[in-house]
Amino acid sequence: MDRTQPEGPSRRHVIGAAAGIAAVPAVGSAAETGRAAQSDASGKVDMTLTVNGQARRAMLDVRTSLLDALREHLDLTGSKKGCDQGQCGACTVHVDGERVLSCLILAVSVQGRRITTIEGLAEAGGRLHPMQQAFIDQDGFQCGYCTPGQILSAIACVNEGHAGSDDEIREYMSGNLCRCAAYPKIVAAIKQARPQMAVSPGTPAKVGQV
Amino acid sequence: MAYDASDDPRQLFGRPTPRIDGVAKVTGAARYASDEPVANPAYAYLVTSAVARGRVAGFDLDQARAAPGFIDVLTHENVGGQVKTNPDPAGKPDNTTTLESDKIWHDGQIIAVVLAESFEAARDAAHRVGVRYAAEAPSASFDSPGVQVEAHKPQTPDAKKGDAAGAFEGAPVKVEARYSTPTQHHNPIELFTTTCVWDGPKLTIYEPTQSMWGLKGGLAKQLSLDPKDVRTVSRFVGGAFGSKGSPTGRTAWIALAAKRLNRPVKLIASRDQGFTIATYRAETRQQVKLGATRDGKLVSFFHEGWEVTSRPSGYNVAGVETTARMYACPNIATAVNVVHADRNTPGFMRAPPETPYMFGLESAMDELAYALNMDPVELRRVNDTQTDPVDGRPFSSRSLMPCFDQAAARFGWSRRDPKPGAMRDGDWQVGWGCATACYPSNIGPAAARLSLTPSGKAAIQLAGHEIGTGAYTTVAVTVAHALGLKVEDVTVTMGDSDLPPVPVAGGSNNAASTTNVAYKACQMVRDRVAGAAVKAQDSPFHGADPAALRLQDGLLRGPGNLSEPLDKAVARTGGRLEVYAENIPAGLPPSAAQGLYEGKMVMSRGTGRKDVTAFAFGAHFVEMRVHVRTREARVGRVVSAFAAGTIVNPTTAHSQFMSGAIWGLSAALHEATEIDADAARYVNDNLADYLLPVNADVPPIEIIMVPEKDDRVNPLGVKGIGEIGITGMNAAVANAVFHATGKRIRDLPIRVEHLL
Ligand code: FES
Ligand code: FES
Repeated sequence: MDRTQPEGPSRRHVIGAAAGIAAVPAVGSAAETGRAAQSDASGKVDMTLTVNGQARRAMLDVRTSLLDALREHLDLTGSKKGCDQGQCGACTVHVDGERVLSCLILAVSVQGRRITTIEGLAEAGGRLHPMQQAFIDQDGFQCGYCTPGQILSAIACVNEGHAGSDDEIREYMSGNLCRCAAYPKIVAAIKQARPQMAVSPGTPAKVGQV
Repeated sequence: MAYDASDDPRQLFGRPTPRIDGVAKVTGAARYASDEPVANPAYAYLVTSAVARGRVAGFDLDQARAAPGFIDVLTHENVGGQVKTNPDPAGKPDNTTTLESDKIWHDGQIIAVVLAESFEAARDAAHRVGVRYAAEAPSASFDSPGVQVEAHKPQTPDAKKGDAAGAFEGAPVKVEARYSTPTQHHNPIELFTTTCVWDGPKLTIYEPTQSMWGLKGGLAKQLSLDPKDVRTVSRFVGGAFGSKGSPTGRTAWIALAAKRLNRPVKLIASRDQGFTIATYRAETRQQVKLGATRDGKLVSFFHEGWEVTSRPSGYNVAGVETTARMYACPNIATAVNVVHADRNTPGFMRAPPETPYMFGLESAMDELAYALNMDPVELRRVNDTQTDPVDGRPFSSRSLMPCFDQAAARFGWSRRDPKPGAMRDGDWQVGWGCATACYPSNIGPAAARLSLTPSGKAAIQLAGHEIGTGAYTTVAVTVAHALGLKVEDVTVTMGDSDLPPVPVAGGSNNAASTTNVAYKACQMVRDRVAGAAVKAQDSPFHGADPAALRLQDGLLRGPGNLSEPLDKAVARTGGRLEVYAENIPAGLPPSAAQGLYEGKMVMSRGTGRKDVTAFAFGAHFVEMRVHVRTREARVGRVVSAFAAGTIVNPTTAHSQFMSGAIWGLSAALHEATEIDADAARYVNDNLADYLLPVNADVPPIEIIMVPEKDDRVNPLGVKGIGEIGITGMNAAVANAVFHATGKRIRDLPIRVEHLL
């Protein structure tokens, strides 16, 4: 869209939406599913997360965010912490194929959901996802710290059908801050990868609907 | 390829090369400091002061101790005397303290460190710490009651020449104006983290840093350890921009905590804490007076600055050292004042002196162009010079006008109607502005270890810093090309103080310092291989002049298109071929090497040399669009040209220039840390309220790399490029806003309310 037009989802709309959604399963899931969490005397919960196709079990503090579960307990440090409050996008992962901010989700609430992190994108033989390769080809990063989040967001952006034009890409990638300011090259990377990505059927049309 | 006898190493560079660490960065494999796995860590959470001035009268710790998972808490009461205060970013001993005593210097100062079994438990316990304060009314910034103002203490005397005041008096055309720039925080996306692990007397610190050896040396001093026992590791840094250049107060306490607990301790400071436990760019005020003849030649230059700092530190950036050197002028006077307030100590932030001070100068130059009724590009041209106006030394090279001319042509500047408000596009007022960019060309002493195997694999090790500049790739490119190998055949190891030291990755010295030492190491390898070949009966080069031999295309080659396979030539040197190179740039004293190993900031600075003054130059052209009714200001497009000597890797250089330019747009239109004047507290201390550009804010940006050959700046002709992009851009935007609207905005950032 025209950048000069104030209409459309701004960074803050995107953030607001994602934050709101994150809160729903966080408070609702145990009650809704009737699956009471097993917790011991110290407040720790025995939980199982399905990450990159693998079931991973851990005893974690019930307050542990999905981001901290990945980083501090499952040695999946590709997802980054840049703010821990839903403002930067560095922690973006996919839950059931959609981009979410893992710092705003309690790990206990996404048991049984399909979690994909940056470590799960390349094929087993090491062949990179087209979006990963495009980020290298276009020099779509500098320090690389926001990059896992950018790449997961970028893949979702294409799958959502929000990568139709440069302006649309810019708008729908504005929830992922890059302080190194690689933005124009992130747009170029998404344009490179877009035609190479298989269209996944039934991908949702809207950002952040979990 | 044929044998190439050229001795000009610059031919090795300039081929676009993708980052060798790219795969690690796009797969999550790159380990940033807080990603390093440590066994069974305890977690630290900081408690920071809720008042800006006074004392801690006491703590109420019962609630915290009762929190599940609580282990320990450090305060001045139990550990106060056990750590020496870290110096300020300039290396001076006077700095704000943390747990050393009950003294509170600024809001958000670290006053306690809570340790617990998990991150969640530590955060919970920290929030239960009760603090009793003996608070006093703080001074927040300029104009606050209680601030102390004093002239700064410059390392070299402030630039002064002729009679600036008298010449200004008599000048036929004058501009006199005051400008201001706001407080800014670096806000790298990576948080300030520290993990400390002890192994007997040996301490390992995993912490994002721009100075592996500086952090090592600094912490050894603070903790009274032998530097040999301190190791720092930071293989990748998640953005730095100056914020990770000097040790901060947090690290020593985490090390001490790990010692007390006999267990690794991990700290991940929160985003808001990052605003007060590290440094920032202080707000400035400036006065500029320019006097000129009617044909635009400057006759008088005066630039004075005021900068905020903490109570104890005299830290200042004194950008007049740069601005006084921009244009030919016979009469020059400069001054800088520091204003002590109840704030944390500021520090280096991307182009620390040039970002604020070039705003003053380049805005004033635009005002002068209007006063003269002269094109702003032509005003730069009539005042261009190849001689440093302050010292009278030649510039090592200066391609300012080629930058202006190439960028102007690309931008379409000749179509500009100079009258403010004359250009319109529907409901948008359109304005075009330009400004000079510049950054001094610095280089430091550095060391590196290089090995070459008979199978043609090279490995180079140095304690370099990958903060996003492409440092791994820069070194790989140098070694590959100097040894006649492919980039894939070179392994680069960096980010560990167990490796040979290089300077702080600051002052844009990294590329110059590391490529020059890497090239020197390659020369040593070549000398060994060539020396062995000319002595060997079985070599085609037996008895030849070793200086004529080159490592090219995976071969040892010589005149007459003779060559020998690398495996034979290298094996002959006695198996494993390894060299240790040290490069001390010309003009630095021999003690520079010692400083390097002590982690001191030793540098040959572009303005401090005896032979030449060394700067990179550039020119920005910006289109601003201001809506006639909403007064929303939008950047339409940007063209920036830079001439910075040898470009080592155009791929990463382009990214550095481009992101610098975006930082400049941000400095003009977005960024400012808001300060509560009563509480002396940062208000917008998070990433939603501290306005940074998002993808949708960034317009098309075109970067032109103007070829430049510099024979004097350093042997490889490399000038730094990481910071120049931001300089002058804030003024180019303000100048374009003036052209669009007729409103001269002298206080940054420019926002809707200034354009009503
Ligand atoms: S860490 Fe989750 S949005 Fe910043
Ligand atoms: S690459 Fe550094 S924050 Fe985006």
